[in-house]
Amino acid sequence: MAGPLILSEALILGLASGPACIASCGPVVVPSLLAEHAGIRLNTRYLSTFLGARFLGYLLFAAVAWELGALVSLPPGPRMVLIGAIHVLLAGVLLWCAYVAGHACAQSCSGSRLVSIGVTRKRGVPGAAALGFLTGLSLCPPFVAAGVRAAELGSVAAALLFFAVFFIGTSVWFVPFVGLGCVARTEAVTTVARMAMVLIALYYAYLGMTILLGRKVYGY
Amino acid sequence: MKPREKLGYTAAGLTVFAALLVPFLLFGFFTKGFAALGLHVDEVYSGGPKVRTVQSGAYSIDIHRPVHPHMLQTEKPFVQLDWRPVRALPPHVSELVDVDGDGQPDIRVSFDVPKDAKTPLRVIVETLNPRYEAMQNAGKEKFSKLIVRVDDAILVRVPLTRP
Amino acid sequence: MATEARVLKLGETAPRTVGRSLLLTLPIAIWSFLMFSHSGQLGRSGKIATIVTAIFMITLFFMMMRTWSTYRWRRWFFVALGLLFPVGFIHNVMVMRGTMGIPIEEMIAGRTPFCYLPIPLLILPAAFTKTLVFPGSILPNGGMSGAGMAAMAGLWLAITIVVGKGWCSYACFFGGIEEGVASVPTRAKLRKIDPRWRYGPWAVLLAMVLLSLALFEPAYCMWLCPFKAVSEYVAARNTVGLIQNGIFVVLFAGLVVVLPLLTKKRTQCSFFCPFGAFQSIFNKTSVFDVKIDQTRCSPCVLCLNACPTMSLTKESIAHGETLMSCMKCGACVDVCPKHAAVWHIKGTEVAQTPERARLMFLYAAWGMAILFGGSIIAQGLATILHVFV
Repeated sequence: MAGPLILSEALILGLASGPACIASCGPVVVPSLLAEHAGIRLNTRYLSTFLGARFLGYLLFAAVAWELGALVSLPPGPRMVLIGAIHVLLAGVLLWCAYVAGHACAQSCSGSRLVSIGVTRKRGVPGAAALGFLTGLSLCPPFVAAGVRAAELGSVAAALLFFAVFFIGTSVWFVPFVGLGCVARTEAVTTVARMAMVLIALYYAYLGMTILLGRKVYGY
Repeated sequence: MKPREKLGYTAAGLTVFAALLVPFLLFGFFTKGFAALGLHVDEVYSGGPKVRTVQSGAYSIDIHRPVHPHMLQTEKPFVQLDWRPVRALPPHVSELVDVDGDGQPDIRVSFDVPKDAKTPLRVIVETLNPRYEAMQNAGKEKFSKLIVRVDDAILVRVPLTRP
Repeated sequence: MATEARVLKLGETAPRTVGRSLLLTLPIAIWSFLMFSHSGQLGRSGKIATIVTAIFMITLFFMMMRTWSTYRWRRWFFVALGLLFPVGFIHNVMVMRGTMGIPIEEMIAGRTPFCYLPIPLLILPAAFTKTLVFPGSILPNGGMSGAGMAAMAGLWLAITIVVGKGWCSYACFFGGIEEGVASVPTRAKLRKIDPRWRYGPWAVLLAMVLLSLALFEPAYCMWLCPFKAVSEYVAARNTVGLIQNGIFVVLFAGLVVVLPLLTKKRTQCSFFCPFGAFQSIFNKTSVFDVKIDQTRCSPCVLCLNACPTMSLTKESIAHGETLMSCMKCGACVDVCPKHAAVWHIKGTEVAQTPERARLMFLYAAWGMAILFGGSIIAQGLATILHVFV
């Protein structure tokens, strides 16, 4: 079982990786938060859902990869296909969230509901969860670094605990995003956020499709 | 005149005065300010600082500090080696290089040095140390994997294998 | 300004006297002499170009004084800047390296010329890691590195402190292209434009700032800058490069040529340019702005239609002000038949002394135009004259 030294290492690795996590998740989190309704409480709920789903994504991948013995040795081909597919899915979810955010406001701007994906809000998967889960699976560099270390531990439980503590370390850096709840959600702010989501979605879609098509991206 | 108006006109006057100062004072002041911020150009572009020079007859090999990508950059980590001056290089270079300075050769770098500076360069890198990636007839594919001629030096960037 | 001539009939203003106009132009003439006489060693074509440019700028200012109007004279300067910048720049690029494509060697050597457009994108990566994600040099480094990134940033900051978002009307060496294109048709074919497109620049700014931090590269320069088509671009070495260059050409054709022709608006500036959105912030710090005097306004919304960047809405007119995106070009002021749209100094009464506000702003802005844009115009002109002289 992971001792306190290992767990403190996980926490420090998480804290040190924070800026990279902010950078990789920022394009998804910031505009989607701004497209939501204002309010610290609502934005905290959104961020918590996002981070929780991201955590699930981490743990799921870690558990599956550990069992397959593939935490660090996933071959480049399948790894790139996975990354490509996730980017395309992420793009799709971002576009849908952007559409639904505008549609929801046009219909009835109820102040306390999170934007949902799906035909009706009751059945739909919260957008924050979908985005969080997909970013959790996206194999960003901090995640890979944690994976390398976790793979050296004795058991899948230890690896999962390592990831959990690592995740807490990275999540500290997301706390300031709650402050976006103070930004008044005028038509300007929500429109800008939705347009930004579309632009970022287009970039992720391009990245995902070029990887899936096997084209050399940036020369690789 | 109300105090607010006085303030407004004063600010406007100062703005016009500031415009006069731009070429004689402000431009230079801000330029020096930006230069003094201690910023540096991303090492993925610049190649990182030089850490060692190995003399090899009439030419030398500058070895730079390994560069690691930031955030989600798609470049691989790499190390840059500079052969200079180009005029002192033989027509074909094939050299064992101790990159990490431990006394053991890490890679063998081979490339032709064409007389015409515009001829594209190609490099073969064989690795003796698994920390470095081999390169087969590489040109200038990426910032982290290339051979180029810059001024009077030939630069080779060898990717590092990921941990 | 008690002796100034004012409105005779509705919309009609007697020109200012020649003598008074010349007197008001004198400081600009002196400034021009000071700026252009420090142009360094010039060949024959350079000297002629410098003199022609100085006369051009002084004449335009004189006409601004004589006719009480700003926009149409400023537009001459701005279009000239937009057309002549690519002439001079592309010529230099071809002489220095023989191609508009930036080879990777030049990027590694730190000789990529730095323009002001990526400034907002570099802030977050620099704040996090003290790294500038641009393949240039902080100080001059030969080749196309020019005066270096620090100098361009320093010049940008100095001019922005003076003119705020007036940068987009008096300094930007790209905006004149679409302003010229927009002035070609006599009337707009596309009149109905969804006002929400005005938020486009902020969306592009937000997306590009976030992606620049994530990818650690100047994302706008790599993916979306339409003006790569008339300056330089990263030489395509692979499929990605080809896609990027294709995007630049399509965006230039669409946003800088086709849409301005159809709408008679500066569509790239109004709906896309992230740097413009960034500069809008400095409208909050600038002491000069444009106001609508509610006691004189009809409202006929001629100003709203005349604004090249849709910086006026019926709501903003009712509030007596322009939007944050106002570039201080003067189009609304010049078109207003009731002289309700006026230049204004913050803190002062609206329409009390609008000409004083205009004069103070123009001395500052035109001074910057001569300093920055004037030198670029002279360089472009010299490039052309060099062929003949």
